[in-house]
Amino acid sequence: MTSAVETGFEVVVIGAGHAGCEAALAAARMGARTALVTLHRDAIARMSCNPSIGGMAKSHIVFELDALGGEMARNADYTGIQFRVLNTRKGPAVQANRVQCDKPAYSARMTAVIERTPNLVVIEGEATGLQVSGDAVRGVMLTDGSQISAGAVVIAAGTFMRGRWYVGKEERPGGRMGEKSADALGRDLERLGFRLARLKTGTPPRLHKDSVDFDRMERQPGEVPVPFFSMQARLEGQGVQAPLFHVEQSDSRLRPWPPGSAQMCCHLTHTTAKTHDIIRKNLENSALYGGAISGTGVRYCPSIEDKIVKFAQHDSHHVFIEPEGRGVLEIYPNGTSNSLPESVQLDMIHSIPGLERAVFLCPGYAIEYDFVDPTQLKHSLETKAVAGLFMAGQINGTTGYEEAAGQGFMAGVNAVRCIRREAPFVLLRHEAYIGVLVDDLVTKGTEEPYRMFTSRAEHRLILRQDNAGVRLLDHARQLGIQQPDHLRRAEDLRTAVDREIARLRKVFAGGASLAQQLRQPAMTYDRLPGADRSLSPDVSRLVEIEAKYEGYIERERKQIAKSLRLEHEEIPASIVYDDIKALRFEARQKLNLVRPENIGQASRISGVNPADIAILSVWIKRLRSGK
Amino acid sequence: MSNLPHNESDTVAAIATAPGEGGVAIVRLSGPLAFPIADTIFRGPATPPSKQPTHVILHGTITTGAAEVDDVLLLLMRAPRSYTREDVVEIQGHGGPVTARRILRCVINAGARLAEPGEFTRRAFLNGRLDLLQAEAVLDLVRARTDRAASAAVEQLEGSLSRVFTDLYDRILSVATDLEAALDFPDDELPPIHTPDILARLRETLSLSNQLLATWDEGHILRDGAIAVITGKPNVGKSTMLNAVLGRSRAIVSPRPGTTRDTIEEYVSLDGIPLRLVDTAGLRASDCDIEIEGIRRTHEHVAKADIRIHMLDASTSLDATDREHLATLNPSRSIVVLNKTDLGCAISAGELATHRVVRTSLVSGQGVDDVKRALLSVLSSNFDLHAPPHAVISERHRSLLVAAVDELNAAEALIASGAEDATVPAAQSLRVALERLGEITGRAYTDELLTSVFSRFCIGK
Repeated sequence: MTSAVETGFEVVVIGAGHAGCEAALAAARMGARTALVTLHRDAIARMSCNPSIGGMAKSHIVFELDALGGEMARNADYTGIQFRVLNTRKGPAVQANRVQCDKPAYSARMTAVIERTPNLVVIEGEATGLQVSGDAVRGVMLTDGSQISAGAVVIAAGTFMRGRWYVGKEERPGGRMGEKSADALGRDLERLGFRLARLKTGTPPRLHKDSVDFDRMERQPGEVPVPFFSMQARLEGQGVQAPLFHVEQSDSRLRPWPPGSAQMCCHLTHTTAKTHDIIRKNLENSALYGGAISGTGVRYCPSIEDKIVKFAQHDSHHVFIEPEGRGVLEIYPNGTSNSLPESVQLDMIHSIPGLERAVFLCPGYAIEYDFVDPTQLKHSLETKAVAGLFMAGQINGTTGYEEAAGQGFMAGVNAVRCIRREAPFVLLRHEAYIGVLVDDLVTKGTEEPYRMFTSRAEHRLILRQDNAGVRLLDHARQLGIQQPDHLRRAEDLRTAVDREIARLRKVFAGGASLAQQLRQPAMTYDRLPGADRSLSPDVSRLVEIEAKYEGYIERERKQIAKSLRLEHEEIPASIVYDDIKALRFEARQKLNLVRPENIGQASRISGVNPADIAILSVWIKRLRSGK
Repeated sequence: MSNLPHNESDTVAAIATAPGEGGVAIVRLSGPLAFPIADTIFRGPATPPSKQPTHVILHGTITTGAAEVDDVLLLLMRAPRSYTREDVVEIQGHGGPVTARRILRCVINAGARLAEPGEFTRRAFLNGRLDLLQAEAVLDLVRARTDRAASAAVEQLEGSLSRVFTDLYDRILSVATDLEAALDFPDDELPPIHTPDILARLRETLSLSNQLLATWDEGHILRDGAIAVITGKPNVGKSTMLNAVLGRSRAIVSPRPGTTRDTIEEYVSLDGIPLRLVDTAGLRASDCDIEIEGIRRTHEHVAKADIRIHMLDASTSLDATDREHLATLNPSRSIVVLNKTDLGCAISAGELATHRVVRTSLVSGQGVDDVKRALLSVLSSNFDLHAPPHAVISERHRSLLVAAVDELNAAEALIASGAEDATVPAAQSLRVALERLGEITGRAYTDELLTSVFSRFCIGK
């Protein structure tokens, strides 16, 4: 036991999951001396649930991280074993990349990146509490009695705070299967006056690869050309040797194989009438339905019990059979997450075509954990109550690696800005899905694990994954994390796209400009007479989308300008909502809780409706007139 | 609502009964000083009003100094159990308008402020007593010019309009739900959207919206009066017509052409239907600036008119200008008046065959009733005035609904195009349509949408 006080750090990040890794990397890359505290050094960036990165709307966040200087996009591309684009038919706004990753390789690569990042030190240990003096954080205390002092602390504890996991009626404390929970930290946050609540989430059982009969399932191969998230992997795919990011390339963990090479297959099967029977008969033995878990579950990623009960009219559900890695025995049967007793899970899995003889390596389980009501945070992800204390990831009530990473990056950046007394870095809702994510959390809070959807964004046609690099270029430059080479390439892309669009508008053929011709439904840039064949595919794709959707994009820009006016209607900090009798009780309560900064933010609070906003506007105008 | 000069800490008063000779006149007081003011001006039972329980009626007199103003009943309503949710005192006097004004003066001398039009309702709204739709209905009720308009406003107050809008909102939301679910989940997890079904449902919402919009025509007639514009050459008797229908002299009439240089508007009730009668400057070529401006305004009014009363001089035959004027008339929404029949008739019936013609000699008052009958007949053939009055929409609702309909039309065209990548812009249009309607019904979009998506679809991955 030591009781040493470490004083060499400016930022401490608690937790080395997907939020913690991005937070620590962003802080260290901005030049702040950063400590990353984790329970186990070998659990860094562990993919504890499904083996994929990206998917609908989450993919957008990954692209945005790549634009700003995050690590997730590269890490997924360089450890990916199957790459697909989802939703190709519904237009570019909702297309999404998804990469199945090799789980051990993913974790190993991120560990290697962290180890090689200057200013960043990993400390193995459990954070038990915060040191706070006045209303500002001063450091972190560890179980061994040691202390790390720092000007800013990011908590990214995931599901570990007072985590309990359940298999049927069996219940144990733990942050993940077989790992201990962090109970002291949750208690300490309560001591500091934070509102905590419980959420729950679940995972499917893991099956032995050799016990699965893949021949009875539909094959889902990866795509070629390989759809990458990161500019770096795209360049490597095009044969361009780009310098790797801040790290030496010598470590094979950084590049276990040429990205996109030797893709593996996923498989598709489905539940049967027998599966549904088994689940229905055993509902009372489920932790979810037996009442053992009080937290609110994920509506968007429902357990199989949930699906059978709530969607009784469906007689079959998809089950995706996903490999967890190249040399990995575990198979992830996506779509079967549950908390039934192990013997029931076995019967249930065996009723699925191709899984009749499946052997479990680990049963499915549900986990319940503390989260911090995120309306206690500012848009910088700093807590309103304790200066210098930031929260990111599942602790804020989200679900998903990507949502966690997006918050982690923002919290890491803002922790450094906070120490340096610089204005916080905030992305607005029309600038990025990360902006939508943070604004939703701090404005609306959440009552169930929050997952990103494209429908949460008001301006989907502007927030596309294909334009993330161009769209966020100015912010990336301002942050200063991104490599100069990356910025230059993004700038070149933007210039080339703008120049080509201007040309298409100017050049006429047969009475219509090339831009007008490109807008015809069946027309593509490649087939356009007068197209510039020398343009790279990155440029021509952006040109095509921007030209085709020009009218709609223009319309969205007008709507943005309109909604920004509401963002500029500030609400005086001194406002007393209880004085406004006209507001419904619920609206008053919510406004008191969130204390929005402007009318725009107030209008997005759930439980505050347009009529309340009308009343609030009138009230503020009256306050302003001084009477 | 944008400039509220006063705060709620003051006490306001107004005569609450309609002007005119009624049996009872009510002066209403609302605000923190309502009871103290009653104490100072009311002489009645030994226990003063401020010491009385709520919801009692006291009998006594209003006095100013030593003089008795009126014998009154006092109704006491304490906050929040009153119309405005503030302390309210109503003073029921016996006399007509003169006594009511004297009581009001007493109340104001004792510390109250004269209420602005609609201020009681505004306070009721700001204090959470009424929602926005209800508050608007009350204001309509206050402004209602006839009984029929009043009963339409009462309907709205009772919420039938809210129900219609809510139904429309829910239908659009359900279409948006299907589109959003298709967008937010990969192709292999949901059945593809069924375009004919989506289109059919979308068109239903469009026809519902258009039905609602149609009520505005009637609503605006009930509330604001049908606009009847009197046009014709100078000196054909337009101002005389206005005066004749009004039954009193409002416009200056003279034998000199071009006497009316500006437009004159007056309200008249025909069989319970309010009519906004507009007298205009005569249509003729002129080089006088004022007259030219008058003629320009005439054209503006003509553009807004529900009905046109076009007047001709029966004693002179039609010239090219007359034929030009007649060609601009919509026969189903106009009447042609042949005035000055006492001077002979130079126009044959055949020349006006397509028009509804009334012959008058306004100098002697002949034919005025025929004009009124013709106006009623045009009104009732264009607007359903005999249907029971139902909820009608206001100008604000109309402009929001028109914006929503534009979006619905855009979405319909996009989906009808059959292009799958048009789903995002279509969904975007429905989102804006719902936002506009949400401004009427007070509902927020995204939360409802997500709840709706996930209550209806089973999402696996």
